[in-house]
Amino acid sequence: MRILYLLKKEFTEILRQKELLPLVFIAPLIQIVILGYVVRTDITRIPIQVVNRSQSPVALELCNRIEATPCFQVRKTGRPGGTDSYREVLKRGEVAAVVVFRDKTGRRPFGLPRIQILMDGVDSNTSAIAAGYLSGIIRQYLREEVSRRGMNFPLDFQNLIRFNPDLRSINYMGPGMVGLLLTILTLFLTSVSIVREREQQTMDTLLMSPLRPIEIYLGKALPMAIIGLIQMAVGVVTVILWFRIPVRGNLWYLCLSGLVFLPAILSYALLISTLVRSQQQALFFSWFSMITFILLSGMFTPVANIPSSLRWIADINPIRYLIQIIREIFLKGNGIEYFYRDLLILAGITAGVVTLSLLNFRRFISR
Amino acid sequence: MRRLKAVLKKEFAHVFRDPVSLSIVLVMPVLMVLIYGYAINFDLGEIKTGVVDFCRSQSSGMLLKKFAHNRYYTLVDLTGPRPVQTGEQMLREGSLHQYLIIPADFSRKWHGEGPAVIGAVIDGSDSNVANLVVQYNQRMAADFGKADPAGQRIISLDTKIFFNPELKSSYFFVPGIVALILIMISAFLTALSVAREKEAGSIDLIFLSPLTSGEIIAGKTIPYLLIGLICESIILLFAHFWYQIPFRGGVLILFVFSILYILSGLSMGILIATVTTSQKAALFVVFLITLLPTIMLSGFIFPLDSLGPVIRSLSRVVPATYFLRIIRGVILKGAALKHFLLEGAVLLFFSIGFIGISMKRFGHIRRRGR
Repeated sequence: MRILYLLKKEFTEILRQKELLPLVFIAPLIQIVILGYVVRTDITRIPIQVVNRSQSPVALELCNRIEATPCFQVRKTGRPGGTDSYREVLKRGEVAAVVVFRDKTGRRPFGLPRIQILMDGVDSNTSAIAAGYLSGIIRQYLREEVSRRGMNFPLDFQNLIRFNPDLRSINYMGPGMVGLLLTILTLFLTSVSIVREREQQTMDTLLMSPLRPIEIYLGKALPMAIIGLIQMAVGVVTVILWFRIPVRGNLWYLCLSGLVFLPAILSYALLISTLVRSQQQALFFSWFSMITFILLSGMFTPVANIPSSLRWIADINPIRYLIQIIREIFLKGNGIEYFYRDLLILAGITAGVVTLSLLNFRRFISR
Repeated sequence: MRRLKAVLKKEFAHVFRDPVSLSIVLVMPVLMVLIYGYAINFDLGEIKTGVVDFCRSQSSGMLLKKFAHNRYYTLVDLTGPRPVQTGEQMLREGSLHQYLIIPADFSRKWHGEGPAVIGAVIDGSDSNVANLVVQYNQRMAADFGKADPAGQRIISLDTKIFFNPELKSSYFFVPGIVALILIMISAFLTALSVAREKEAGSIDLIFLSPLTSGEIIAGKTIPYLLIGLICESIILLFAHFWYQIPFRGGVLILFVFSILYILSGLSMGILIATVTTSQKAALFVVFLITLLPTIMLSGFIFPLDSLGPVIRSLSRVVPATYFLRIIRGVILKGAALKHFLLEGAVLLFFSIGFIGISMKRFGHIRRRGR
C-alpha cells in the first residue's frame, strides 16, 4: 500500500511540469496526423521527362497514357538530346527519369517504337517501382493490342492481394506510428526521471524509506505506463478515425498487447538509468537506443532485411513485436493464437531486462 | 576578439572536461552509420513463395524450376489435402509472402490458345513489399515468355540506370543517415550545453559579463561546429570505405554546404534551449523536431514528390530536405556547386535566421530574466 504514496508523489511531479505536459500529449498527436500523410510509400507524381522522337501513333498513345497515370508527372516533353544531356538533367535532379521514344517509325511488332528509359538510380526503391509502372503501362497497351487481334499472351499472372487490397501504405504505417510515440514518451521520460532523483540526491531519501528498490522503480514506471496507455488509446482512435484504417481484429487484444509492451520498454528505461551517471548521459543513451529501436523496428523497412549479424538488436527490440502485433490485429484480424508467442517474448524481455537492472541497481546505489 | 577568445576557451574546456560525453558524441555516429546502414534497406532478400500445383505437368514443372533458380524466390511446396487453405493460413501467420496457384489447365492453355493464367495470392499488409513481389512476378512471367518461340521479346525496354546501376539501397540511405546524424548531433549538443547552463544557473554569470549575445552564441557554436565536422568526416570515411559508396563529386564543396547545415542545426538547438526551461524539455523538443521530421519529411525514405501540397510545404522548412539533395547530388552524381545554389542559399538563410532569433531571445532573457 505504501506504493500508493509513491505513485501520488510521482504524479504530482509529472503534473507539476507545466511545459512538458502539452509536449507529451499534443505534440505526438500533431505528429501522428502530419506523418500519417507522409508515410504513404505509394509512389505518385514522380517527375519525369518524356522525349518523343517517334512520330508513330503508338508512341503518342503511350505518351498520353504515361501522362494520364497519377504515378508520373510529366515535367517536360522537351527537346531530344544525347545521352549526356539526359545525364545532366538527372544530375540536376529536376526529373527522376527520362523516357525516350527512339525511332521515327515503329518497325517492331505492333508498331512499337524503341523505348529507352534513363533513370536516376539514387532512390533505388522509387526507381524500381517507377520502372515497374512504366513497363506496366506498356505491357497493358500490348495486352490490349494483342487481344484486339484475337490473340493472347502466353503467360499471365492474376494477382489477388490479401489484407490490404488497395495497397494503401497508411494501413501499414499508421498503426505502427502509435507504437513509436509510446516509446518516445516512456523510454525518455522514465530514465531521466530516475537519474534525476540520484543527481539531486533525493534517491537517498527514497532508499532510506522502507520502500524496496523494485517498489521505487514501480513508482516511477506505473505513472508512465498509465499515461502511455491513455496516449495509446488516443493515438489509436485518432489513427482509425482520421485515416479510416480498417480494424479487422479485436481491439481488446490491442489493449492487452499495450499492457504487455509497456513494461518491456519501461524496463529498458530502468536499465539505462542504472548504467549512467548523469541526466545528460541518460539522455544520450535513451536517445541512441530510441533511434535504434525505431529504425530497426520493421516500421519503415522489413525486419527480414536486417542482416543476421544485427538481427539480435531486432530480437530484443520491444517495438518490433508491438508493431508486428498491431499490424496483425489491424490488417489481418488475427486472434491471439497468432501472436501469443510475441507476447511471451515481450514478457521474457521484461523479465530479463528488469533482472539485469536490479542486479545493476545495487551497484548503482552504492556508488 | 579577446572576449570571444575567452568564451571559446571556456566552451572548449566544457567539451574536453567530460571525455565520456565527448567520446559518446564521436563514437555514437559511427555505431549509428554501421547499424543503420546495414539494417535500413528496401532490397528484398527473398520472396517466400508457396506453390499449389494443380497441373503437375512438364510445363508447370519448367515454370517452377525457373522460379526456383531465381535467387529471390524460395519455394515451399504446399501439399496435403487442402493446399490452398494451408497457403492462406501461412499467409496469415506471415510465413509466406505469396502463394502461387497453377490451375489444372495450365499446360493445355500454355501450349494452346492461352493465356495460361497463374494465380498469385499476395500478402498486401506491407504495401511496399507487395508492390515489389508483383513486379518480380511480372518479370518472371516475361522471362518465361521469352523462352517461348512465339516470342515476347517485343516488350524489351531498354532501361539505363545512372548513378546507382545496381539499385543498391545503401547508396540511397547512407548519405541520408549522414544528414540525419549531423542534424541530431548538432542540435542536441548546443541545446544540451545551453540548457545545462540555464539549469545550473551559470548562464546568469555569463549574462553579467560584458559579453554580447553574439559572442555568447559564437562561443556556443564554434566548438560544436568543429565537433560536427569531425563527426561528419568520420562518418563519410565509413560510408566510403565500409559501404563502398563512391565519391563522385568534390568533397570540399560538400564540406562547405555541411558547415551551413551543421550551423543551422546548432542554432536550432540554441533556440530550443532558450525557449524551454529544463534539459529534459529541451531535449524532448529537439528529439521531436529533428528525428521524425528528418526521417519523414526530408526525402530520407519517402519521395518528396509523392507528398501532397500541404505536407510538401512543411518539408520546405526542414533543413535536411536541402542538405539531402546536396549530399546525394555531390556524392553519388558528382554534381557541382552551381547545381545547388538555391539549396545553399536556403541553408544559409536557415542558419542566419535561427542565429538571429536566438540572439534576440538571449537579449530578452538577459533583460527580463528567465
